[in-house]
Formats: sequence, structure tokens, C-alpha cells
Amino acid sequence: MELADKPSTKAHRSLPGKIFDLLSGFGLATVTLLLLGILTWCATLEQVESGLYPTLNKYFSTDWKSLIILPDFEALRINDKLVPIPLPGGYWMCAVLLVNLIFGGLIRIRKGWTHYGNLISHFGIVFLMVGAGVTFHFSERGNMAVSEGGTSNVAEDYFEYVVEVSEIKEGKSDKIHVIRGKDITGLEGEKLRKFIIPELPFDLQLTAYMENCVPVSANERAPDRQQYLADGYFLMEKPKQAKAEPAEQYTAGCYARIIQRDGTKSAPFILAGASFQPFSYRVGERVFTIDMRKRLWPMPFTLKLDQFTAAFHPGTRTASRFVSKVTRVESGSEAKATIQMNEPMRYEGLTFFQASYGPPGAGPGQKMYSVFEVVKNPADQWPKYSLIIVAIGMAITFLIKLTSFIIGGSRRKSHV
Amino acid sequence: MFNSSSRIGRWIAAGLAVAVLLSVFYNVVVDNTSKGEVRKIEDYTPWDEATLKVAETLPLQNGGRIKPLSTYAGFTMLGLHGARSMKISGSKGETFKIKPTAWLMDALFRPHLAVKLPTFRVDNSTVIEAIGLKTRGKRDRYSYADIMPARDKLMELKGVYEAIAKDKRDPVQEQTVLLAYNVEMYEGLFGYFSFARSGAVLKGSGKAGEADEGAKISSVMMAVPEIRRLNSQNEATGSKMNSRHESLLQQLVNAATFAQFEIFILPPADRKETAWMSAGGAIMKPLNFPKQDFTREVEDIKLLETVSLSAYQDEATFRKNLISFREQLVKRAEDRGEYQHVKLEAGFYRMNWFLNALYCFIFGTLTAFGMWTVGRGTAGRILARCTSVITWIGLGLCITAMVQRSIIMQRPPVGNLYDTIIFIAATVVLISLVVEWMTRRRFALGIAPILGTLLIILSRRFELGDAKDYMDPLIAVLDSNYWLTTHVLTITLGYATGLLSAFLSVIYLLMRGLALDNGDRDMRRSLTRAAYGMICLTLFLALVGTVLGGIWANDSWGRFWGWDPKENGALLIVLWTLAILHGRLGGYIKEWGLHLASVFTAAVVTFSWWHVNFLNTGLHNYGFTAGKTTIWAFYAVVTVIIIFGLIVKAMEESQRKRADLKVAVAI
Repeated sequence: MELADKPSTKAHRSLPGKIFDLLSGFGLATVTLLLLGILTWCATLEQVESGLYPTLNKYFSTDWKSLIILPDFEALRINDKLVPIPLPGGYWMCAVLLVNLIFGGLIRIRKGWTHYGNLISHFGIVFLMVGAGVTFHFSERGNMAVSEGGTSNVAEDYFEYVVEVSEIKEGKSDKIHVIRGKDITGLEGEKLRKFIIPELPFDLQLTAYMENCVPVSANERAPDRQQYLADGYFLMEKPKQAKAEPAEQYTAGCYARIIQRDGTKSAPFILAGASFQPFSYRVGERVFTIDMRKRLWPMPFTLKLDQFTAAFHPGTRTASRFVSKVTRVESGSEAKATIQMNEPMRYEGLTFFQASYGPPGAGPGQKMYSVFEVVKNPADQWPKYSLIIVAIGMAITFLIKLTSFIIGGSRRKSHV
Repeated sequence: MFNSSSRIGRWIAAGLAVAVLLSVFYNVVVDNTSKGEVRKIEDYTPWDEATLKVAETLPLQNGGRIKPLSTYAGFTMLGLHGARSMKISGSKGETFKIKPTAWLMDALFRPHLAVKLPTFRVDNSTVIEAIGLKTRGKRDRYSYADIMPARDKLMELKGVYEAIAKDKRDPVQEQTVLLAYNVEMYEGLFGYFSFARSGAVLKGSGKAGEADEGAKISSVMMAVPEIRRLNSQNEATGSKMNSRHESLLQQLVNAATFAQFEIFILPPADRKETAWMSAGGAIMKPLNFPKQDFTREVEDIKLLETVSLSAYQDEATFRKNLISFREQLVKRAEDRGEYQHVKLEAGFYRMNWFLNALYCFIFGTLTAFGMWTVGRGTAGRILARCTSVITWIGLGLCITAMVQRSIIMQRPPVGNLYDTIIFIAATVVLISLVVEWMTRRRFALGIAPILGTLLIILSRRFELGDAKDYMDPLIAVLDSNYWLTTHVLTITLGYATGLLSAFLSVIYLLMRGLALDNGDRDMRRSLTRAAYGMICLTLFLALVGTVLGGIWANDSWGRFWGWDPKENGALLIVLWTLAILHGRLGGYIKEWGLHLASVFTAAVVTFSWWHVNFLNTGLHNYGFTAGKTTIWAFYAVVTVIIIFGLIVKAMEESQRKRADLKVAVAI
């Protein structure tokens, strides 16, 4: 592969030309690839100590504050003191690589039959990276648990905690108002936000959000960071464990106040993912519940679990097959499908994967439940297409190189 | 013929070669030889070869599949003894080599001899000291009889150390727990046929002071319905259970307890039932499933009793009974369609393909060093031909073994870490030979047997460390022949070519640094082109393999990329090779830079292939935890070679500058 512009012409280039040369150059490509390599290596080691989710949030955050990050893992600590090695954030390095790929690998690259292989490969990688971007920004993930014979039409998000406010009528939740996670997660420390829901007779003020915490009674343990006390309880950040806790098990929490339309505020109360009961509030005869829970995600159809089978290699507890026989119920019509390991069900832009099952240690004849991972990803199949493109491009390049290697005179008889 | 720097270089190269050979010798010979003196067991008589041949093809169920007894014996012996053979001496000083099937047969049928065999490998004598026994060498082997006096202490310490989390135990604690497990397992083996040897005692049957009569366990099994009936009658009348009956049932339970685990050798009568039964399971059937027919189980136990008891008669009778038992077993296994690969597998281990391949590669390594040493001429040509032939034979043995493994496993050749080692060994040798065919410069020819030797040794060390049968079935998510063929083979081939590119560059650095090539630029160019081509191939395979892995993950776990350490490792190879190629194309690295970077590829591949497995996180974690030190040693070797290359490069540049200066002064 060669670039179309020769370095000798650089001296006469205009400033935009020089910027283009820089952005499309091999130098930037090499440095970016090396930095991405170092970031990947650091993220691999750091996730062992800090857990996958926080590590990814740190290395690949789109936040401008993540332009520069400081890797932090055992090998970088001397006497428990971190040796600071600033590195550019992974998300931004991917963006730089994408620009470099487009400018250098697609536009500036020398054209000609010997170079078409590289051109095609570069296009495939650009496509892959765009697919990764689409997945990163637009995909949704959740899980759905269904018992044998039971049905479900909602999936629960793996990570996103939301605040749900609903009025109780005749013992049931009426319309549920949802405050999404993206509007709450920034309210850390003293930051607070008032949420106005016109249909409700009050507003809601949220503050001191914590990603992973539990409510603790002040009688059991004194607040260690001057946390608010709400009805004798405070929110305590969950202590770090020897092995990082999976992010799916995080329980978020925050403090809330009801603000009446006349401006009077209620006493602060706690909303926590770890609480079993919602907070209830009465306005005259009307009763409302306010709860923090993982976001429920309605499906466009209902899924019924007809049968779940877990098979093991004989005489062992090594799983050989997990199979869920399901029925999709949609607009009165029914369709049968099978979901098993390596064979998900793809339908209407949603993909259902066999993720887990239970109850653990169930005996013969006991009713089982199956857990599906539900993913909505517009770029679901893009990697497959990009692979075909890249493989074709690289195969062309490799065959040309191999032919030139064989013809090119290296196969002369000589001795060491 | 050679200049002085070349001569010094050759001496250094010869020194390195000797060091490599000594290391190989240590690994192959010394490390696999029993430590300490050969045990003398006076009353030991070896099994007849004909008996062992009958025994080794007995089918049993273990690890989720049907396998020959010899396979089970091999891995059990490896786990307890740390080798697949042991040497002992008899009463007249003659030496016997006991192989796995014979060792297991002793444990099952001749426990009085088995307890004297030096079965337990103890790598740290502190473990033995801690349980209050007299220690032998620092690393030695002990018999059950040696350990027996301190058994209680061993089990007490096991209980204490088990309370400590596995990753927090120190090596001595871990080895103590392991020794205790091994002792318990061995007890399970030699207690397995105690039901046949001891039988049951008919309490109160002895007349006038005589000893009570005995009965076979199979007879007691047949009596269970009658005992149950009589007991029901007693219960109906409010009477207590007859103490003789109670004693018989208790003896039945006890007999079953000792034969409950490990050897699942009886195919169930019900075709739908997939789990085979142990002798203990068969003994318990009349008690556990009173409404089911247990005629088959009684017949099985009768047969086992006959076989076991005849071990104390002459061996010919024992063999005859064993043949009769095997015929029944084989017929039943065949009827269930579960015997088709048992003979092939027994033959696979009997042939010892990989060990024979290792011998070929070691011989090839010797002839390769000879070939490189003598250089041009007839001797060089003959040695090159020898290297080529013997390496091809070694490769043929590896391929035959892998094909047989695939047939036995009914899946593609790579599905776990052990598989990757032997696959990489074979492919690295094959690709080296192909490179040799394309270049005809003998550097790739020499590399082939050396890498073959090192990788087969690695596979043997890995097998020894884990003592696990890697032909056992895979977990559900991996059980996909399509993905095992596409993603796994591609990525593993990427490891192979990455290592080969690094090795080609090591050869380049050594040849140039030690002046072995006499400044032959053509040779250097050829090596550079080969290494460059190998880096391109590595990129192709690693990239395609990684994306294929992503597509597989998208189908099984619902995400293309999960930043799992194994995925990151593969990505690192892709990024590193891309960085090399773009650096080279941009002119940032030239010949030296390319080779130095290529050598570092070995570290990147090692991180991806091995190191991530030690991080104890992620979905690709295979659980192998031994040998972390070896990885760091390998990184150290790679660093030393890179530093060596940098020093040589700096020296060459300084020489060139001095030469330029002289020319300038002269002008």
C-alpha cells in the first residue's frame, strides 16, 4: 500500500493540505494503532481489578473529560502510589482512527489494481467501525425471564435505573410516569434537578445520585461522608469487593423531595434500587408511589415459554444444550420458535438470546424458567458484512504479495 | 573460510544451541524421570501383556463421554503420579516399568501391592514434613503405605486449608489439599472392588462357636425383596426389624459406598438413560428403586465378583473372566452406539504419537544445528535432507494424531487450550516447511523441528500440569463445529504465524548479530521478506479470526464485542501487526525495526494465547492456572533478544559512522 502524495511535495503544501496529510498519514495511523493497542492492554488488566463496566466507562466514555485517562492497575502502582501515565481516551482514538482510515485508507490511498485489495479492506474496516459506533450509541439491551407456560412482553434493562411515579387506583398502578436514567445519572453530590410532570399534583426534586449504593439505618452504622439522613436512613456506597461486582448487580439510589405546587417541600426520602418497597405519598385522597427500578422495556409482541430443556453431558454437570421452545403471540396470531445457545431468535429488529435458566438445581418435573437476553441493535449484522468485505480485500492483497514473493526471486538456492 | 567475528559468532551460536539442547534434555528426560531410588516391591509380579490389552479397551463413562479404561488410567495416573509410567524393582532386582493400565489394574484388583507403589508425587517435601512423616528428596514420590501413618493428620490439615479461599492458599497449603484429594481418590480405587473381596457376613450363621458364614453381595441384592417383604410384615405387626436383615442391608449400603464413584463401567439397561452406572450404583438399585427390575444389575455384580476374585487365582483365569466381562460390556455399549471410537482411542494412546513426533523433532533439531554448523558442502546437503525427512515424519505423526483425536472427539481439532498447542505445533512446522520450499535457504527448515520440539514439550508440560482429559466434550456454548472450524482454527493459525514471524526475526537478529550469515545481503533480504509475509498472514488470520469470533459472540452472548480479555488479546495482535505494517509502509521502521517489532509479536501472541487465561476473568477463561512463571520467563527472553538486536544495531551504526569518517578523512 502506498499513499498517492509523495512526501517531497509536502513543503509546498497549503495549511489545509498539510492538515490533510497529517490526518491521512501513515504516521498518525501507526501512532493511533499503537495507542489503541496500549489502551486495550491497560483496559484488559484494569478490568480484572475494577470490573468491566467501570473500566469501559473510563476508557471509552464519550465525555470530553475522558480525552485523557490515567490507567490504574497493580503493575502501575509502586508502594500503593499510582505512577501516572496519561493516555488519550479510547473513544476519541477510535474517532481519530476512523478519520485517518477515511482520509488515508480510502481517499489518499494510491489506486490501481495492486492496491484495490487494501482499498476494499479499509472500506470494510470503516464499515465495521461505523457499525461499532451505531451499536455504541443506538443499541439497547435487557433481559426477560419467563416461566414454563408463562408469558412476558417486557424486558428489563441491564443497567439503566429509572424513577417511576404512578397513581394507585383500585389497588393498581395507573399510568406510570418514567424519569429516564440519563436525566438522573448526572445528579451526583450536591447537584439537584426538579422534574415537573404536569399530570401530577406535585413536582419531584432528585439529588445525590449514586450508581451503586444501599440504604443503611443510621442506628446500625453512622454516616461516613456526611450523607443526608432520611427517616433515619442514609445511602451508603457499596464497599469494593475483592472481585469486582458485575455492573448488572449495581443498585443505584438518590435522595428525593416532593415539591407541592405551592412550593412547600416534603422531608427528603430515599429512592433506591435495593429497596423492596416504593415510597408512597398521599395528596388528599389520591395515593402515589415513587420507585427507583431498572427500566422496563415493552416488546412489540408477547413471548410464551412452552418448554425449557437443560441437558448435560452424561454423568457430569457440564452443560451440553439449553433449549427454549417459545411461541410469539402478536396481534392474535401465534408463531413457534426455538432459542438456544448459538442460535438466537431474530425478529422485528430484536434478538433474543438464551442467557440463563433456573431455578438452580431443579429436580425432574419441576417448572423451569428461562432468561433471555434481548438486544435491539440496528448494526446487528454489520460485522458479518464488513468481515466479508475485509476478507476479500485482504485475500486479494495477500495473494498479490504471495505471488510477487514467489516470483520475486527469494526462492534462489543458497545456504546459511 | 569464516572471518573472525563470524567464528566467534558461531561459537556463541553453538553455546546457545547446547543450552537449548540441555533444556530440552532436562524437560524430556530428567523432569519425567522418577526421583529418588527405585522402590523395591518384593512380591510384585507384572501383569501379562495379553491381560493389559484386554483391560485397556474396557469401555467406561468418564468426563461426559465413553472412553477406554486406558485413557482413564492414563489421566488418573498423571494426576496422582505426575507421569504416565513408574519404575519399581522386584525381589531379584529386576526392574519393572508400570504403565497406566497396569497401575490402575493393581489399584483395582491387587490393592495389597498397590499400597506399596510410589504413586503420590509430592513436589515439596514440606507437605510431608507438615503431616509428621520422614521426608525423602525435596521432590519425591510416596506410596500409600508411606502416607498411611499420617493419614489422619493429612485430612485434618486438608479441612483447615479448604477453609481458605483457593486463590489465597500458599503453595504448600494447596499441595497439601491436593495430596489429600489424591489419597482419597486412590482409596476410592482400591476400595472399589472391596464388595467382591469382602462380601457380606451372615450374622449369627456360625454354629457352635464357628465363624459366621459369608455371602456374595450379588446374593444379598437378590434377597432384598424378601427382606423388604418380611420387614413390611414386621412393621404391620408392630415388631422390630430382624437384626440379621438390618445387618445385611447395612452391609449392602457399605459395599455400595466404596464402589460408588470414579469407575462408571455399567451401561444402563434403559436406552433413554444416558448416565452409566458404577458398581455401587448397581448394588444400590434394589434399595433405591424397589419397583424396578434389577436382574441386569445382579448379573453385572456377579460378573464383577467373578473377575475380581479370580485376580487371586492364576492370571489366565482372571484374563478369561475379564474377556468374558469385556465382551458383555462391549456388546451392550455397541448396542447403544457408544463403542465406535473406544478401540481407536486405546490405540491412540498406545501409539504415543506426540511423543514419537517429539523424538523426530529432537532428532531434526540436532541435524538442523549440524546443517547450520557445517554450512555449504555435501555434509550440509545430507544433513539438510535428514532434517527435512525427519521433520516431515514428525509432522505426519502430529497430523495423524490430530486426525484421530478429531474422529474420537467428533469435532474439529481445536476446542481448548491443550488442543491449541498441538495444532500450533503442527501448523508452525508445516508453514515453516512451506516457507523453506519457497525460499530454499535452510533457515525455515531449521526452525521447523526446533519449534516443533518446543511446542510439543509445552503440550506435554501443560498436560502434566492439568492432568485433564482434553478430549472430553465441550460446554454448550463451544459445542459448535461450524464456529470451532471457522473462528477457532483461524485465530489459532494467527497465533502460529505470529510466533513464526517472531522466530524468523529471531533467526535474523542472531545471524546478523553473531555474523553467521557472513554479511549475505541476499539471505537477509530473504529472511526479511519471509518475516514480513508472515506478519501480513498473521494480520489476515488474526483480523478475520477476531471478527468471526465477534460474529459468534453476537450469536451466543448477544454482543459482537465484550472487551473480554481473550477478545482483547486477539485485537492486540491485530493492532500490533497493523502498526508494524503501517510503520513500515510509512518508512518509520526499516529492516531492523521490522525484525525487532516482529520479535515483540511473540510477546503479544503469548499475552493473547496464554496470559489472559491467568487473569481469572471473562467468558473465555479456561481455568488453566499453572506455569505463570514460564510466561514471564518467555517475556524476559523476548526482551533480551530485542535488547541484543538494539545493541547490534547500535554497534553496526557506530561502525558505519566510523567507516564513513575514515573515508571522509581519506578524501
